[in-house]
Amino acid sequence: MIIEYHRPHTREDALALLSRPEPRTVVIGGGLYLNQVAAVGPLAVVDLQNLDLGTLKIKGKSLHLGGSATLQTILDFDPTPLVMKKAIQQQENFNRRQVATLAGALVAGNGRSAISAVLLALDPVIVLEGKDQESERHPWGDLLPLREQLLAGKLITEIIVPVNIACAYDFAARSPADLPVIAAAVSKWPSGRTRVVLAGYGDQPIMVFDGPDGMGADSAARDAYSEAEDQWASAAYRSDTAAVLVKRCLKEIDQG
Amino acid sequence: MLDIELTINDQIYHLQVQPGERLYDILRRLGYSSVKFGDEHGKTGADTVLLDGKPVNSYMLLAAQADGHQIETIEILGEHPDQGWNKTGGLHILQQEFVKTGAIQCGYCTPAQIMAAKELLTREPIPDEFQVRDSLSGVLCRCTGYKKPVEAVLRAAARMRGEEVPDLEDPIRVPPGWLGSNLDDSLPPTKSIQVEGNTLTAKRVITHLKVSPAPDTWSQVGKPKPKVDALKLVQGKPAFAVDFERRDMLYAKVLFSPHAHARITAINTKKALEIPGVAAVLTYQDLPRVPYSTAGQSDPIPGPLDCYSLDNKVRFVGDRVAFVAAETEEIAARAVEAIQVEYDLLDAILDTREAMKPGAVVIHDQDDYVPFAESDPSRNLAAEIRIDIGDVEKGFLEADHIFEAEYEVPKVQQSHIEPHAVITYWDEDDRLVIRTSTQVPFHVRRMIAPVLGLPIKRIRVIKPRIGGGFGGKQEMLIEDVAAHLTIATGRPVQFVYTREEEFTSARSRHPMRIKLKTGVKNDGTLTANAMYALSDTGANGAHALTVTGNTTKAMALYVGSGSYRESPNIRYYADIVYTNTPPSGAFRGYGVPQGYWPVERQMEKIAQSLGLDPLEFRLKNSLQAGEIHPFSVAWSEGREPVPEMIQTNGLAECVQKGKAAIGWDEKIKDLNWQKVPGKPHLRRGLGAALVMQGTAIPYLDMGGASLKLNDDGSFNLLVGATDLGTGSDTVLAQMAAEILGTGLEDIIVYSSDTDFTPFDKGAYASSTTYISGAAVVDAANQVAERLCERAAVILNERKQGASYLAEEIELGGRCAVASDGQAVSLEDIALHSLHHKDQEQIMAVGSYMSPVSPPPFAAQFAEVCVDIETGQVIVERLVMAVDAGVIVNPLTASGQIEGGMTQALGYAVSEEMLYDEKGQPREVNFRDYHIFEAHEMPELEAIFVETFEPSHPFGVKAVAEIPLDGVAPAVGNAVYHACGADVDQIPITPERIWRKLKAS
Repeated sequence: MIIEYHRPHTREDALALLSRPEPRTVVIGGGLYLNQVAAVGPLAVVDLQNLDLGTLKIKGKSLHLGGSATLQTILDFDPTPLVMKKAIQQQENFNRRQVATLAGALVAGNGRSAISAVLLALDPVIVLEGKDQESERHPWGDLLPLREQLLAGKLITEIIVPVNIACAYDFAARSPADLPVIAAAVSKWPSGRTRVVLAGYGDQPIMVFDGPDGMGADSAARDAYSEAEDQWASAAYRSDTAAVLVKRCLKEIDQG
Repeated sequence: MLDIELTINDQIYHLQVQPGERLYDILRRLGYSSVKFGDEHGKTGADTVLLDGKPVNSYMLLAAQADGHQIETIEILGEHPDQGWNKTGGLHILQQEFVKTGAIQCGYCTPAQIMAAKELLTREPIPDEFQVRDSLSGVLCRCTGYKKPVEAVLRAAARMRGEEVPDLEDPIRVPPGWLGSNLDDSLPPTKSIQVEGNTLTAKRVITHLKVSPAPDTWSQVGKPKPKVDALKLVQGKPAFAVDFERRDMLYAKVLFSPHAHARITAINTKKALEIPGVAAVLTYQDLPRVPYSTAGQSDPIPGPLDCYSLDNKVRFVGDRVAFVAAETEEIAARAVEAIQVEYDLLDAILDTREAMKPGAVVIHDQDDYVPFAESDPSRNLAAEIRIDIGDVEKGFLEADHIFEAEYEVPKVQQSHIEPHAVITYWDEDDRLVIRTSTQVPFHVRRMIAPVLGLPIKRIRVIKPRIGGGFGGKQEMLIEDVAAHLTIATGRPVQFVYTREEEFTSARSRHPMRIKLKTGVKNDGTLTANAMYALSDTGANGAHALTVTGNTTKAMALYVGSGSYRESPNIRYYADIVYTNTPPSGAFRGYGVPQGYWPVERQMEKIAQSLGLDPLEFRLKNSLQAGEIHPFSVAWSEGREPVPEMIQTNGLAECVQKGKAAIGWDEKIKDLNWQKVPGKPHLRRGLGAALVMQGTAIPYLDMGGASLKLNDDGSFNLLVGATDLGTGSDTVLAQMAAEILGTGLEDIIVYSSDTDFTPFDKGAYASSTTYISGAAVVDAANQVAERLCERAAVILNERKQGASYLAEEIELGGRCAVASDGQAVSLEDIALHSLHHKDQEQIMAVGSYMSPVSPPPFAAQFAEVCVDIETGQVIVERLVMAVDAGVIVNPLTASGQIEGGMTQALGYAVSEEMLYDEKGQPREVNFRDYHIFEAHEMPELEAIFVETFEPSHPFGVKAVAEIPLDGVAPAVGNAVYHACGADVDQIPITPERIWRKLKAS
């Protein structure tokens, strides 16, 4: 039950609210994921809409996306990598994109999140701000497994996404706009470094390969999901298809 | 409390709100009835409003988040152009086009679609189809298949740019031999977006209706008229069940069982009752124990009485434990949480194959269970069917080949966007009024009476507009909850299911495991067909017998050839068993779609195995006009069967036209067509299925209508028939207008209210146009006769010495016209009869019960693209050519087909309800239960092959349910054609295809 609503005008005020021991206080960006946390016990919410955290900039070879930037504004932003645009369109319908924020999508995304998977492949840096307003920077890959603990009492102020990385995403689902039961996102740096992320299973996408080139990436994917079984798909299917999708993504990247 | 300022439709509101209040709640409280509840996750988008010009889900936003922002609802867009002396600007162009194109069916999501479209057209005046579909992706529509809404937006965009668009009122007439598609080259070019091989959308809209020639003498019937209820729906008027408010209203919530099977050993409501604002908490200890069935069917209900409003035992996760009424929904929810219950857990049956095994736990062990026919609760058997036609064993012996296979079809949800919703209250005469979203208002009145301990005459059921039903509201499902609470408190009570409750506690389609054995000769002659269905009725037996009985109708299409045609050999056995899952029930198609998956897959396998042309093979063995419907001699929904001859059958022409439309002959053997250039992992395929449905239940279904002349020559048409968004009110009005020689705008339709409208069994069994339509025709003919008699009197008064006879007068052009051209207007007749001389009320009541159930026929086609490495299938095109008799309204009928095909598409590839080992559901929302969205749709095409069914005055047959029958098998057969994957279970998921490909 929501017992308090706050709309602070400064980050300092927002962080002060978030650091209170009681009542339990959480950020709402668009508010779409509030249902997931509002059902249990008294809750205070901090609305960030006055904090100017929705800006989008391109700086050098990086895209700087404000934590409160909506998925629609990111989709409409020309420099946004095409693979991110595809992930956004696949995951969220038009209405939800208007209010869903990127930070919210990352915090709440589960293993079937296309956005989370693609970002994990793109290896962005997440900029956090804590109580003392000191900025912290974490690779999304480090933050993702521990996001509940590491994000408590903090704001995601910015997501810095490199744009000089080739990236491809592919998936299998019951229909084009359905959540994937298996998905792969593959990134390749100019140096040849290759990263493979799998999604469609579990609490979060997982990085299954990060090597100097793509050699063995498909096998790594196959192995990584060899026990990825749930009500939605068997491990045998996911494992086999993961390898197929990774090979396809690598081919797509190589073909430019 | 928070002080906020909202600007809603240019009006500033200063409000005090609770921190947790949703914007949706505030808008509803302020009277913006266009904003609807659809779900808790922002997937349906029925709650869409524009926030600072952008479409958002108001149920997902806190009111406080909207503080300081501009909000727009459809109430600001446009209104009725003529409000007495106040001439308004009329409807917005978007609203006009939604009305004109038939984009509105139930209308529940229409305001949301229009507001989403408004944002698009503000941002992009020249949108292409992809942009339109993307903008509508946030609004789920279960009725239309999105084709007409997309068309409406494109047409509105063109008009707003000042361009002319074709007039749908004047559709293109096509010659009888017309076959192909009719694309309008003036449209924007096809656009598509590729998501790594998955086409999100790539289709264009066909702007003209295709109408095969109807009798030219008719002015109303056969014409694409806008729906009579479209104007209110397009404005978001308060037309639905809970758009109506009563002072002092309470809100109901139900405590649902967390266990699949348990006995309640203790229940304590003390803490719940202590919560301020709680008015009542009811448990099984408070209510009379009355066994009943929830199935909305005629008396006597052909099924066991095995439900109780509340019981001391729960039989599925989502079963009822207690009812609460409180001042607000939030208080009611807190009270539900405060109820303390102790359960004695019992073994649960979650697999139909376990239900009848010796020693299985008995789900219905109560003493007061009332069986029907072969119901045997000790064996968990809700119903049993054993039908033998001809000599099946002999037929198999005479066959050259025997084909046997097992098939499986899933439990799926009707997913109407408006949830079940009801308001109950005592009126000033102490009669209980039930305003409910139901398909069966008269059945609800009859069935709820003993449950409440009230006589029928003290109950009034009002059916307002319904936001979709699809069978899910052919139940007395939640009306008793609100009614018990009204009786307990004396106050009005509103109860609305959440979306999660729709999944856990409403009804669904019966899942079945089916064995099918077919005998066939070398030349393709079928010699015998035998089917066994193990059907899962869930925890209650509503519709158990009748749904599963209908499954056999799929086999009835194939009687064999030659001598077998005269005496077909068909066996159908079925066991319908209880399990500890949510009860199954009626779902559009009513058992027939379950039968066509095995039958049409099996026909395909036989044709492929024997090297036969799959369509010629089917036609060779199919039922023809002049033959007896084989099951009419053996089955009639639990009643005495009466043999029935098929009068009309346009199936062969349906095949011909459907083949041409989808390009069957060009593609089916073209290996190059099957390959996708640059995508070696993709394969295209074509598939078909032939299907047959019924039209009403013979000797049972009855509809009534009354028609009354008003002073101005208009008519009140009161029908008990239940328009769920199907357009039935409109087609009934068209029939009345045709006979009365007037326009549709002069027929004021009201449906339905058990106090005021004649009886009608309700909206199911594809019966309304046929049964209720015939009742309207009966009433209209009586009124027409009286109009002509009165006209003769008037004409004779006007001309001294004249001797006009009523039988020489015809109605047309809002006049009664004599053979010499002398005419009297309907208005003059009305004034004369009501005020001037020999005063009388010209009115009549008609009713109709049919001795036959003339089947519509259809050929359905699917074009798919299969990823042979991942198993993903993309359905790219669906075509349906249908013989549904004369089409009264091509606009609404084509909408039925498009929407039906879309529901069937979900059945084919994405929809499925599964449970874990404890009976917990996998799907409780529209993120996991995936119904198709606007931006991922295949191209849809409906073709009418009109026959004139002689048993109906306008020659109609049914169209509502048959679209559900053939899509899944057509897709399955297309998948087989594409890649050889022989999938026998739906939905055809990527993994199921992958497994077949791996196995081969």
